[in-house]
Amino acid sequence: MTITRINVGPVHPSTGGVVRFVVDLDGDTIVNVEPHIGFLHRGVEKLAETRMYMQIPPYTEKLDYVAPMAYNDAYVGAVEAAMGIEPSERAKHIRTILLELQRIASHLFSIGLLSNDIGQMFTVFMWAFKDRDMVLDLLQEATGSRMFYVNMRLGGMQRDLPPDFADHTLDTIKYIEKRMFEYAKYMEKNPVFTERMKGVGILSREQAKELGVTGPVLRASGVSYDVRKNNPYYMYEKYHINAKTMQTGDNFARYKVRILEIQESVRIIKLVLKGLAGSEGKAEGMPVKLRSPNPVNRISIVRRELPRGECTMYLVADSQKPYRLSIRSPSFINLAAVSHISKGARFADFFGILGSLDFVIGCVDR
Amino acid sequence: MKSERKSLLAALSKMKSEGFDYLVKITAIDYVDHMDVVYMIRSIGDIESSKDEIVELSLKPTDLWLPTVTNIFPAADWYEREMSEMFGIDIKGRNASRLLLEKWDGTGYPLRKSFAWDAPYKTSEDKK
Amino acid sequence: MADEQINRDSAEFMDAKKEMDRLVYESVKEKEVKPNAFFMKLSDITKAMPMAKNAVKWARVNSLWPMQFGLACCGIELMDFGSARIDAERKGYLLFRATPRQCDVMVVAGWVTKSMVPEVKRLYEQMTAPKYVIAFGECATCGGPWWESYNIIKGIDEVLPVDVFVAGCPPRPENLFSALMKLQKKVGGEIEV
Repeated sequence: MTITRINVGPVHPSTGGVVRFVVDLDGDTIVNVEPHIGFLHRGVEKLAETRMYMQIPPYTEKLDYVAPMAYNDAYVGAVEAAMGIEPSERAKHIRTILLELQRIASHLFSIGLLSNDIGQMFTVFMWAFKDRDMVLDLLQEATGSRMFYVNMRLGGMQRDLPPDFADHTLDTIKYIEKRMFEYAKYMEKNPVFTERMKGVGILSREQAKELGVTGPVLRASGVSYDVRKNNPYYMYEKYHINAKTMQTGDNFARYKVRILEIQESVRIIKLVLKGLAGSEGKAEGMPVKLRSPNPVNRISIVRRELPRGECTMYLVADSQKPYRLSIRSPSFINLAAVSHISKGARFADFFGILGSLDFVIGCVDR
Repeated sequence: MKSERKSLLAALSKMKSEGFDYLVKITAIDYVDHMDVVYMIRSIGDIESSKDEIVELSLKPTDLWLPTVTNIFPAADWYEREMSEMFGIDIKGRNASRLLLEKWDGTGYPLRKSFAWDAPYKTSEDKK
Repeated sequence: MADEQINRDSAEFMDAKKEMDRLVYESVKEKEVKPNAFFMKLSDITKAMPMAKNAVKWARVNSLWPMQFGLACCGIELMDFGSARIDAERKGYLLFRATPRQCDVMVVAGWVTKSMVPEVKRLYEQMTAPKYVIAFGECATCGGPWWESYNIIKGIDEVLPVDVFVAGCPPRPENLFSALMKLQKKVGGEIEV
């Protein structure tokens, strides 16, 4: 058995970022995969120790650059827990709506890139980006920027929603709901797609819990854990989320969980929009000033459900800046599972596995 | 809950047998006169129930080593490598593995408080 | 002779191949090779026919092919630039290629760490002349928000010669469009450097 060693280098059109994989092949079967990471390491945890509390959101946004508002929300939630501030009722509604819109945009991005890596389905890439642009237009109406919105403040948001936001959102949401049926119909009847995705890259239930994977990867293997359901926050305490799981644990299950999650987000946004008009409280939080209030709790731990998994922020608070900010990123541990999942697969299926794991390298090397 | 280094493996095995079989994160905090190491674990039960638990221990700066927990939690592999590179904690009992991050010139442990990095606001001309 | 099996590993065969190579090379070197349209360089054509200079310039200006070098967040805006709403193909910036041999413009999008510098240099040297570089975004221009980090270089112009800088974090895809149009003016000779 002779082993060939191939370098799938840092600059490659089909890996999801700048990462090197050293693949050992025996003929066409993969024997071992080793990822070398660190090409985008810039020391966010070290930089956060030199800045004041509200100067850090521009740093934590650029960790996961496909869904930036979710990391923003996790960090600001950790600071609010350290200071004992609770966001107002209206701010909770607004945060839930914007976070679910961000989740839809991120899942569309991941579906588009996945089908681009499988057999040149560039058409689906174009469709997914067109729909994602419509959702980004909505976010631009609410916050002012397409991609990096520093719009969370302590206790609320930077500004209230514009008056016709609810109508525009409902139109876009209904269009996306219809569109998801078209995606499912066209992609699941395509024999190239189904043969490359079903039965490939299987991760069993016990292995998924042992390896510590999270997010849609965990739910596609049959473990029903979702932070929005088990430790609910914001409006998820009132409107309950169903965690969508599938039992097979292959590539196709990981893709299907994302389509089902988009449909679940659409349902939640409709419910929260109805309750938005009757909510009370001010939407604007505390403005950013030279001195922020002093923290009450020394250590605060906050868990949020990002589109790619679960993020835990562990903040040790000093008087005006963090003493230590420890970030548990979902893509880090999802990437560590690639060597277990792809043992025994063929080399051409490697890129399908990478696309279905959906990691973002900015989050892996913080 | 607090623990000691000599009873760490026994405490974690006991918790795993009670159903805490999912590792969330291993992290460390550098207070200058001692260093804290934190293990976060979770038990994913039936549909609605899950519990989180934290195991903390404290190390002296002259005596920084820990036994590996990859026999109990296989997910601890990458977390331990990252922690040992960033803080300089020696993890005993591992197979020799390469550095996790592709390092720059390579020296020092970045997340310690005593890491000497270029003072802020210097351009590249000032360094020459 | 044709029926015999040729043993390709033997020393005799390897010597024969070297011998043939040497003979072919020497015959080509001695003879005068007539100028043939397939073997001329582009500069010979423009010296012979001065009116072809405009045609060559027109072809170069209107078909700049960018190389896909999206490293980080600005890479997401590069993908948006090539997709359906702001269509990059209508102005000739076709086909984001992953191979440097077929590209003219290298769009560096994202922060460059010290570990990535040898890769960037190598890709730039593999591109064929004439080649241009656009620094897209603040991280490639000056280091961006990561100015004080210990692991990044402050701007890609410490390593490569840059033609156009685009500001923004991230710049909108329309900004990249206007930067490429400015580069087209530079390639066509309307902007003096």
